[in-house]
Amino acid sequence: MDEDVFDAIVVGGGFAGLSAAYRLATAGRSVLLIERGSTCGAKNLTGGRIYSHALRALLGDRWQEAPVQREVKREVLALLTETDAVTVESTLTSAQQESYTVLATPLLGWLAAEAEQAGAMIVTGTTVDSLIVRDGRVCGVRADGDELEADVVIDCEGINPLLLEREGLIRRLDPHAVAVGAKYVYRFGSSEEVDRIFGVRPGEGAAVLGMGAVTQGVFGGVFCYANTDSVSLGLVLDSVGWKASGRPILDTAQALREHPALARYVDGGELVEYGAHLVYEGGYDTLPAFSGDGWLVCGDAAGLCLNRGFTIRGMDYAVLSGIAAADTLIEAGPGRPSAQTLAGYGDRLDRGLLRDFRATRGAHDWMSSTTDLFTVYPRLAVDTMAALYHVGPEPLTPVGTTLWRAARQLRKPVRTARTLLKGVRTL
Amino acid sequence: MSGIDALLAVTTFETDEHHPHIVIDPAACRTCPSDRACVTSCPAQRYVWDEAAQQMTFDHVGCLECGNCRLVCDRLFTGAEGYSWDYPVHGAGVDYRQG
Repeated sequence: MDEDVFDAIVVGGGFAGLSAAYRLATAGRSVLLIERGSTCGAKNLTGGRIYSHALRALLGDRWQEAPVQREVKREVLALLTETDAVTVESTLTSAQQESYTVLATPLLGWLAAEAEQAGAMIVTGTTVDSLIVRDGRVCGVRADGDELEADVVIDCEGINPLLLEREGLIRRLDPHAVAVGAKYVYRFGSSEEVDRIFGVRPGEGAAVLGMGAVTQGVFGGVFCYANTDSVSLGLVLDSVGWKASGRPILDTAQALREHPALARYVDGGELVEYGAHLVYEGGYDTLPAFSGDGWLVCGDAAGLCLNRGFTIRGMDYAVLSGIAAADTLIEAGPGRPSAQTLAGYGDRLDRGLLRDFRATRGAHDWMSSTTDLFTVYPRLAVDTMAALYHVGPEPLTPVGTTLWRAARQLRKPVRTARTLLKGVRTL
Repeated sequence: MSGIDALLAVTTFETDEHHPHIVIDPAACRTCPSDRACVTSCPAQRYVWDEAAQQMTFDHVGCLECGNCRLVCDRLFTGAEGYSWDYPVHGAGVDYRQG
């Protein structure tokens, strides 16, 4: 074996890349990971919540040392109008260590240290300029004027996979499959303050997902997470839908902080960061090729993110895909794997996380085309509850009348029922 | 300081003033085929269209590197002449501390 050739070069030190590097290094493979940020995590932004099964799969019991924020015990689903909200709150203390709120930068910094300790070589502050392709085979990368060679390049460059797109190795990112997210992080004086704001027991986490007027009829939603001593608040908007609306995204992001049902979570906090990131939401039928001659693609770059409205998952799939990529190479043994061997990675995904994507085929199309989800239904929920709770000098309105009036607001009840049934099937 | 400036002021950047990672052609932007969607679709409001002067300005400093402009602008998306979208080099650009 050529001493200058790495077993694998990983492009990108996010959840997918670090997972692949950690796994390969643990198995004794020579791995070079190249990260364009000043540190691993410097270019990453999450909503942020991670499902712990993936961390456990990567790290075993040691995942408990990972710097996550709070274990989520309270789930809130909010239907929002311009001024009001109806929320469905679930207090789920039976869920044991299932999911945690996170901030991506510190968590990835820790994971990078783990990967290095396992023997991975990590270079930060270095942007890969291009892939080295010879006779249709990816043989390495060019960065900072250097050519670095490897048996395999694992592309984990994130949702904008410029390297693979430029070589024509995967389809160009389709704007219809993407949403744009913006997030604020507010810091509070103490963790007790965050406990109080979210009405949770000391150290317990909470997650709020909302939909309705804030996205002004465009497919999207808002999120709010209780971190240890900070709160993450943000929104996600369908890129194409928002472009068509012609409204400034920033105005909407700013209005978010003023909404009475959301402002309560951030009032009194000090804004410490504002960020933005794309979210892949295209679903199963839009996923790219997962491998080719000399390369594999993982995480966001491979479109492995799933939005079901009430859960949004990306980081756990990134970790799992990084593991699957590494395991494919470990199983293949030393030396240059053939394109056929690398295709085994797709098979692994197929038996694993892709089952989730197949089960939710059509979910994205359903949500993006069912605009009533973001306008009519939240309004209906709020109006109905407002009518039920209303007391004035006039005679009361019987419950049946209130509900009948609500039902009549649905212009086409049969079509509505059919639409909702379709939604249940796709989600 | 208000609006986007106040938001970007709290976020950390390793600024490289001289090497924009995104390049547009302000003159060509006058005939934009994409409804100048960059102006409304950039979460960091880096694109400003001056209607009176018929002039687009883009400031790469403060860019959050999300990539939404690459998707909403046909010319950035297709890499038309005078337009390109790259990642910053040498660790420059946004430097999240929370993420």
